[in-house]
Amino acid sequence: MKLFRYFWPFFVALALIYVFDRSWALVPPLGRVFNPFGGFWTNGISRLPADGELVLPGLRDEVVVHYDDNAVPHIFAQNDDDLYFAQGYVIARDRLWQMEFYALVAAGRLTEVVGAAALDYDRFNRRIGMARTAAAITDKLKNDPTADRILRAYAAGVNAYIEQLDYADLPVEYKLLNYRPEPWSPYKSILMLMNMRYTLNGGSNDPRLTNVLAKYGPEVVADLFPAYPAVESPIVPAGTEWPFKAEVPPAVPDTVAVLPDNGLLASRIPAPRPEIGSNNWAIGGSRSATGLPILANDPHLQLTLPSIWYQMQLCSPDVNVYGVALPGTPAIIIGFNKDVAWGVTNVGSDIMDFYRIRFRDKALDAYWHGDQWKPTTAHVETFKVKGGTEVRDTLYYTHHGPIVYHKAERAARARGIPVGYAMRWVANETDGADVLTFYYLNRAKNYEDYRKALSHFTAPAQNFVFSSNGGDIAITSNGKLPLKWKGQGRFLLDGASPAHDWQGWIPKEQNPAVKNPERGYVSSANQFPADTTYPYYLDWKFAHSSRALRINERLDAMKNATADSLRMLQNDEYNVDARRILPHLLPALAADDSIRRSAEFDAIDRWDHRNTADAVGATVFERWQSELLAAIWSDEFTQDERMLYPSLDRTYALIENEPEARWFDKVHTEDTVETRDDIIRESFRATIAKLKERYGEMSPRTWAWGKVKGTRIMHLVPNFTSFGRRHITNGGGNGVVNATSATHGPSWRMVVQLDKEWPVAYGLYPGGQSGNPGSKYYDNMIDRWAKGELDTLLFMKSAHDSSARLRHRILMKPEN
Amino acid sequence: MLYLLILVAGGVLSWLGPWWMIAPVCFVLCWWKARSAGNAFWVSALAGITLWVGYGTYLHLAADVDLAGRVAGIFTGGAPALSWLPGIVLVSLISGLVVGLVSGFSGLAGVKMRAFRQTKKT
Repeated sequence: MKLFRYFWPFFVALALIYVFDRSWALVPPLGRVFNPFGGFWTNGISRLPADGELVLPGLRDEVVVHYDDNAVPHIFAQNDDDLYFAQGYVIARDRLWQMEFYALVAAGRLTEVVGAAALDYDRFNRRIGMARTAAAITDKLKNDPTADRILRAYAAGVNAYIEQLDYADLPVEYKLLNYRPEPWSPYKSILMLMNMRYTLNGGSNDPRLTNVLAKYGPEVVADLFPAYPAVESPIVPAGTEWPFKAEVPPAVPDTVAVLPDNGLLASRIPAPRPEIGSNNWAIGGSRSATGLPILANDPHLQLTLPSIWYQMQLCSPDVNVYGVALPGTPAIIIGFNKDVAWGVTNVGSDIMDFYRIRFRDKALDAYWHGDQWKPTTAHVETFKVKGGTEVRDTLYYTHHGPIVYHKAERAARARGIPVGYAMRWVANETDGADVLTFYYLNRAKNYEDYRKALSHFTAPAQNFVFSSNGGDIAITSNGKLPLKWKGQGRFLLDGASPAHDWQGWIPKEQNPAVKNPERGYVSSANQFPADTTYPYYLDWKFAHSSRALRINERLDAMKNATADSLRMLQNDEYNVDARRILPHLLPALAADDSIRRSAEFDAIDRWDHRNTADAVGATVFERWQSELLAAIWSDEFTQDERMLYPSLDRTYALIENEPEARWFDKVHTEDTVETRDDIIRESFRATIAKLKERYGEMSPRTWAWGKVKGTRIMHLVPNFTSFGRRHITNGGGNGVVNATSATHGPSWRMVVQLDKEWPVAYGLYPGGQSGNPGSKYYDNMIDRWAKGELDTLLFMKSAHDSSARLRHRILMKPEN
Repeated sequence: MLYLLILVAGGVLSWLGPWWMIAPVCFVLCWWKARSAGNAFWVSALAGITLWVGYGTYLHLAADVDLAGRVAGIFTGGAPALSWLPGIVLVSLISGLVVGLVSGFSGLAGVKMRAFRQTKKT
């Protein structure tokens, strides 16, 4: 007892050190994090020298990196190995935590850093096959000398950075979540690309359309879910001749769907997200003031901090290219060089199908296909949960692909994949080398180089827009596209029938493409790549045509266009849906005196159809559209039964042409028959009531579209809300060219004016070069982005160029 | 004097070592210099707090961006009840509490261990 009197403070001190040295549930190690000599405080100041020399083992020669006034690195290397080494090093320096986080997500390993809460999410990501596919792709690329070289050089550069780090240098997220970076590898670069495949193609309408088929039959499906929209402006202009002899498409079998055994399928697989889309276009010399092409691109993705893109210039004796890279992946993804410029939008054709699998027994080791039992392949997946435990899960593969879920379990219901269905998904294709497409595009000099570069690409199919200072413009829906019978995969398919297998691939040179069309421009906005004359089936539904219509009508009218004309088109906020449908809706409203005299009616009646930040009419219209759709469809196509609504285009056509259609009548009001106009008025009243409830009485300030839309750009960790930016005021909307919604939007805007001598380019993205929330370059571009401005990009000719915009210079030296 | 010694030695060693370097510094210096238990605890705690909050505030003022505010936001979860409190104040309070407890008890441990040695000698 006497001893205790003397020793207790010693033990209390030890206990406190122990407690503050480790994390407890969500509380990070307070001692480490709050220590100003190494904790988060040090992330507020730059610990790495901004200028000077670095000795980096692994380099062959010296590399010069200039940083400009927007913290964009311009890398000048003397060979390609050093170039990609330096690219990896430089990106890791700004974005290490982000790139590793993406790799953990795609690999289904988040449990290792955030604990059991992420188990369902990880399990889903493993079961759709992403980690296994990435590993298989990485293995195959080892046999491709070029791909292998750049991936390994890049990984070596990232690792050279990681090896220099001590605790104080770690990005603040590592400190707060209490883990450390692992070594980088080519496999992780491929995981990054897998993430993109999932983001762009990880949704399906099949289960929900199958439910419609089960309930209403094929005639209703054919009527309400047509194979081509009423109003469309396809990527390849209508009337273009197909310059090839098409293969004979496979014949449509007698049965095109398997319906669920009893009742409707309780599947909640996410639908393809309408916010994930993009715009790109290029005008030829006939429409530009310079007489040479100008190209524009803005990919629409979820807006996050750190940003998905990273600007940089890569220069070696072999290449000099500027643009944006994906953190974690070598080369420039969207950009330009001295001679050419290119950009991408998502094709979004049907490349994910589900096959109902009949297993022999509970062992799940064999399934019925082509009149025989075929073996499944099983893989045991292990999840390491933060804190030490391990969870195992068996993943079964058929020849179609993985069985995403095979028993009714909680996760299956939560993520909504049909139970007992195998998934065929183009993202699990392991041939090709997407990374080589970008490697060669970075070096392209002309149209032929562009076409050669595209041949390496697998997935997700992209509309690659192209222009060259030789005067060519072109666009190609490029990537592996399955060869299907007409309508194949609209519904859930029969896993036992060989006729339901994918029938091969559309020959790549026969993918929809157009070069130098007569109209003097090419463009895409995720709409149908081609009209109904295209000989192959791609999908029955693509993105709503409104952005495409607007882009094409403005490009049609352009003469002597400049880069600024294209910048203004990127920021165009004209709502062609409003122009199309309001003339049919407003008369119905005006027929009711109480509505006609209301201030809200006045607001939409006098609205100029522009989704500007201050427009009250845009607020009423946008909110009304979802209300209108629900008023027409939600009684017959209930969300409880997980049914797909007909498209916006089909709904508009119904309003325009079929006022007597039975769908307007509400099924649960037996005594009355609602007319189209009743539904229009009722949905309008409901919209106004909801707006008033949420925002109070209408006023130009409280109902302004920019405020109601409330665009926000949040950190990748959902809990880190204070690392994000909210209440960004700008215009836009899902269906307008400036496709800024609450959470998604133009993630990079670029305009490139080609020139015989040296191109002039502009660009900006909603974030900043640094991934560090303590840096002034973390979110410095957001306000300019919201205003629709672009920066003039500094594209240097050589390391010796002088520019007033250069701020820092780092010389990387090899070890002696 | 003790206060200044902890500040200087603690500063140098914290720069070089892990976050808990302040603990052995307080322990040793209090063994050597502290006049009483109360003196050891409070001088150590005060010196530790001065060092951490002082240096943290310096870094905060030298930074371009209010990172302290962003980190504080993670700990408050944007709770309205705490939104009136500037982030730098909140993170300074947490920093001060952590280092104050560790250094205070370490200093106290030093002077108590010295007392134990003395009881054995006499």
